[in-house]
Amino acid sequence: MKSLLADLRLAWLLTRGSDRREWWRVLLTAVGAALATGLGLVVAALLPLKGHHTVSVGGGLLDRADTRIGVVAALLLLFVPVLGFLGQCARVGAVHRDRRLAALRLAGATPGQTRRIAALESGLACLAGSAVATAFAVPALLRLWHSPVPLAWAGIAAVAVGVPVLGAAVSALVLRGVVASPLGRIRRLRPAEGPGRLFRVATAVLALSVVYIVTTPFHDVPFEFALTPLTVVGVCLLIGAVAVWLTGASARQLGEGVAARAQRPAVLIAAERLRDDPWAAARTHAAVLLVTVVGSGFMGIRQVLLSVLRDEADQYAEGIGFYENGLNLVGLALLFALALVLAALAVGTAESVATRRRGLAAQVAAGVPYPVLARATLLETAVPLAPALTLAGLGGTTIGVWYGAAASEHTAIPVPYDALLVPVAVYAACLLAAATSLPLLRRSVRPGELRYA
Amino acid sequence: MSDIGGTAAPLLAARDLAKAHGRTRALDGASADLAAGEILAVTGTSGSGKSTLLHCLAGIVRPDEGTVTYAGERLDELPEKRLSELRRTEFGVVFQFGQLIPELTAVDNVGLPLLLAGAGRAEARQRAGEWLERFGVRGQAELRPGALSGGQAQRVALARALVTGPRIVFADEPTGALDSLASEQVMTALVGTARESGAAVVLITHDAQVAAYADREIRLTDGTVARAGVTA
Amino acid sequence: MSTRHILLGLLAQGPSHGYDLKRRHDERFPQARPLAYGQVYTTLQRLVRDGLAEVDGTGSDGGPERTAYRSTAEGARELAHWAGEIAPPAPFVTNEIFAKVVVSILSGGDPEAYLRAQRAAHMERMRELTALKTAKGADLATVLSADYALNHLDADLRWMATTAARLTTLTAEVDTA
Repeated sequence: MKSLLADLRLAWLLTRGSDRREWWRVLLTAVGAALATGLGLVVAALLPLKGHHTVSVGGGLLDRADTRIGVVAALLLLFVPVLGFLGQCARVGAVHRDRRLAALRLAGATPGQTRRIAALESGLACLAGSAVATAFAVPALLRLWHSPVPLAWAGIAAVAVGVPVLGAAVSALVLRGVVASPLGRIRRLRPAEGPGRLFRVATAVLALSVVYIVTTPFHDVPFEFALTPLTVVGVCLLIGAVAVWLTGASARQLGEGVAARAQRPAVLIAAERLRDDPWAAARTHAAVLLVTVVGSGFMGIRQVLLSVLRDEADQYAEGIGFYENGLNLVGLALLFALALVLAALAVGTAESVATRRRGLAAQVAAGVPYPVLARATLLETAVPLAPALTLAGLGGTTIGVWYGAAASEHTAIPVPYDALLVPVAVYAACLLAAATSLPLLRRSVRPGELRYA
Repeated sequence: MSDIGGTAAPLLAARDLAKAHGRTRALDGASADLAAGEILAVTGTSGSGKSTLLHCLAGIVRPDEGTVTYAGERLDELPEKRLSELRRTEFGVVFQFGQLIPELTAVDNVGLPLLLAGAGRAEARQRAGEWLERFGVRGQAELRPGALSGGQAQRVALARALVTGPRIVFADEPTGALDSLASEQVMTALVGTARESGAAVVLITHDAQVAAYADREIRLTDGTVARAGVTA
Repeated sequence: MSTRHILLGLLAQGPSHGYDLKRRHDERFPQARPLAYGQVYTTLQRLVRDGLAEVDGTGSDGGPERTAYRSTAEGARELAHWAGEIAPPAPFVTNEIFAKVVVSILSGGDPEAYLRAQRAAHMERMRELTALKTAKGADLATVLSADYALNHLDADLRWMATTAARLTTLTAEVDTA
């Protein structure tokens, strides 16, 4: 206990003494943790509900058990972009933190101590976020639901405590490489890291189950059952995974091809950076791609579903309004997810600029014009995203068409043009997100930065 | 205070430069002249303002007070666009480290200023290759800076600074991170090429053995020129 | 520096006469103080006296008469012994610059001005040596002996820099002693 206190004090001292970028990480991590806690709390409040209830929010979707489960599934899916965002936040000031931890090891801290200190640092940030989210969520819940069941309270407590603990654990896990060596990663030795075994196994399992589901005949059951949300989620994840893999696998060839032919300095720099670390783009863009798949799939399904509903309006008791409302809520959740992954992308780009600021300042001092560096930064996002987003968009649209084909037994399907617009819009939004780092780039290339290593 | 022979106006002249970083006064009334083709060493203890003087002379930093005149142009008044063009074409810059782009190969790093000036890729690579050859690092042309030794990286950096045929090369502790043999190779390459091409050199160093490569030395103490060095 | 051993070393390649030895010495050790012919002659006579060298013969290729010398077996042994022996690392500190600084303090002079002037002279000599070693076609012997001198001058300079920074303390110490 005493040593834990000492570690805590050291963690606090280190956080307090660290520079502005470290504070950014703490703040962003807290925001991410607050979002995760918020999602978790809503799920924790909804899960204990059984049967029919009248809930004043959610447009009636929370009243019935079956639609409620759909909402819970959607909320759980939202964890993907939130985790992606948290992952990006962890990268802010990562180089600096790695060096600091390595210095701790050099100064004689044991691996255990270093790991604890690092975990406590993240844990504290997550705790702050989770505390804020809980403090806002519980009064809001009490206003809607006068006497929540004990199970709901237990769930709320578990989420509020679980998020910081999970944050600390993940942080300890991620930092194991740094903790192991006192010399840290002083030299930048980065073998082009491909996806881990876990990723490959998960993709394979996903692919097999999708194939199984698709090949199972469902002519004798209504198509709604065959196309359970689970299947759609599985297909989305699969296409997302393939798009991520494609980003990484194609980046090297893309980088090499572009670099060899580049005539303009900005293109050359962007292409060589791509070639140097082909999987960086895949890591950064994974969540973007997943949201694109889901987004374009959703747009396709929405279009088909609404047209089917309009054709057969008389068969449905609730009226089209109920379904449209539900679809719009899902769309809203997707927009939220998109905003989150874009924020993560912006954070990632800004971090990449901040890490390289001394080198960038040296380039400008040597006469490389700022616009060239700015173009290179944007191209770094634009080039690897183009093929991946094309695949993600096509994949998502295919889901829509597939759904439409299944629905066409009832009615004529419209072509899901809306779905095809999604990747284009996401691409533009990503470029805008990357562009948010340009003011930082301009500040980073000031000659004053030459003075700092 | 120009003490180089002849009546010709100096190529680069700084008068009464002052520059503060926050509350520290890095430069406090420093003046210096550089003749065409001259190799000038700027020495002084750590924190004496050597690097800030170089930054002002090369148009990287605008002084708070004082003037810098290069070939009739007032560097302290030029817009950033023109300064950056000057640094790219008329000046060459070598730092202790950091001036090479880590993701570009040695030959592309050297060719970068040519690409920026609008040359084609093939031409840039070819001319860059010639410079690498000259500095004995042709064999490392396709390596990235991370794979080069300190001395090789500095010779690549020199090649990049010289590839556009600059009139002045600014070198800030170019051998600061090198052992004496590598340091000798870098200095011989720098001084030899400068003398051949007639380029002037401003050489910041705290190492007397490096300063001895220069024709003349000025010493900075607390942001001012302590005393004009002895004419060679 | 032992002239006798250096001459023995030069004789190790074969018999040679005095003038030739001086020429080869100056060639082999550039930047060293050149040998005076008289010094070569006396040293050779002492080597003969101690049995380390002997007269090889006297000849005159139409010119003045010349005596050639060769190393003896004992001379070779002595040479091997000397070459393998370590040079004592600075057994006495003979520092003329320090002496001048102290004398300058004692006599109420300006040690700071002296150190500045000395520094300028050192730098000037270092520039000369650097020019010598970077000149086109400089051979390795020239480069290495220039390097040796440069490193020593550099050490002097660094010593002078720290001394200049501590002159006030030194003055107080010298004055009270």
